[in-house]
Amino acid sequence: MADNSLFILLCSGEREKIQMAAMMASVAAVSERPVQVFVSMNAMLAFDTKMAVEERYHGGAFAKLLNDQKAPDPILLFQQGKDLGDLKMWACSMALDIQGWEMSHLDEKLFDGPMGLTKFLSDAESGQFVTL
Amino acid sequence: MMADQTLDAKGLNCPLPILRAKKALKDMATGQTLEIIATDPGSMADFDAFCRTTGNQMLESKQDGKLYTFLIKRTA
Repeated sequence: MADNSLFILLCSGEREKIQMAAMMASVAAVSERPVQVFVSMNAMLAFDTKMAVEERYHGGAFAKLLNDQKAPDPILLFQQGKDLGDLKMWACSMALDIQGWEMSHLDEKLFDGPMGLTKFLSDAESGQFVTL
Repeated sequence: MMADQTLDAKGLNCPLPILRAKKALKDMATGQTLEIIATDPGSMADFDAFCRTTGNQMLESKQDGKLYTFLIKRTA
């Protein structure tokens, strides 16, 4: 049966796409929609707690504008979505393995744990699915 | 109508006015009212949708130039 859950597959390391993922996730969460975000590929690098803030994102002209205009940091938006709604974030187990990372590489308050793609796709069968 | 609380969201871009409103409503009792003052041009439609999906009640919404004011009653 279809439900109103939102599933976001976030692969890009571009600020523009991470920003949009964070905006969608936080707004949906505070609008009473359950949200799950699966972070993989280059996007994973932006959540590295050992990464300096200014090196966290890359991107195009709009990424520079977001930075210059002091748009809220995507990580802050994700955190607010978690604090105020039902938002879960999962780290791709394959990407963790390829990077040689443990979960301690990622913010423990932000991530709910590692997850495989099969489980994520299975959970997403009945909801709305967005890839960025 | 006097609001129980006022949220000044002027100068904040989407989605911060919605996030700040949700945070404020969360700490309020059912039946209390929140006034929000925003300048984001998308806020009129955003707060309508927010109330529709969360079940809170929009008592009043108005635009005065570039200023948008909303009065929301916490019902959910």
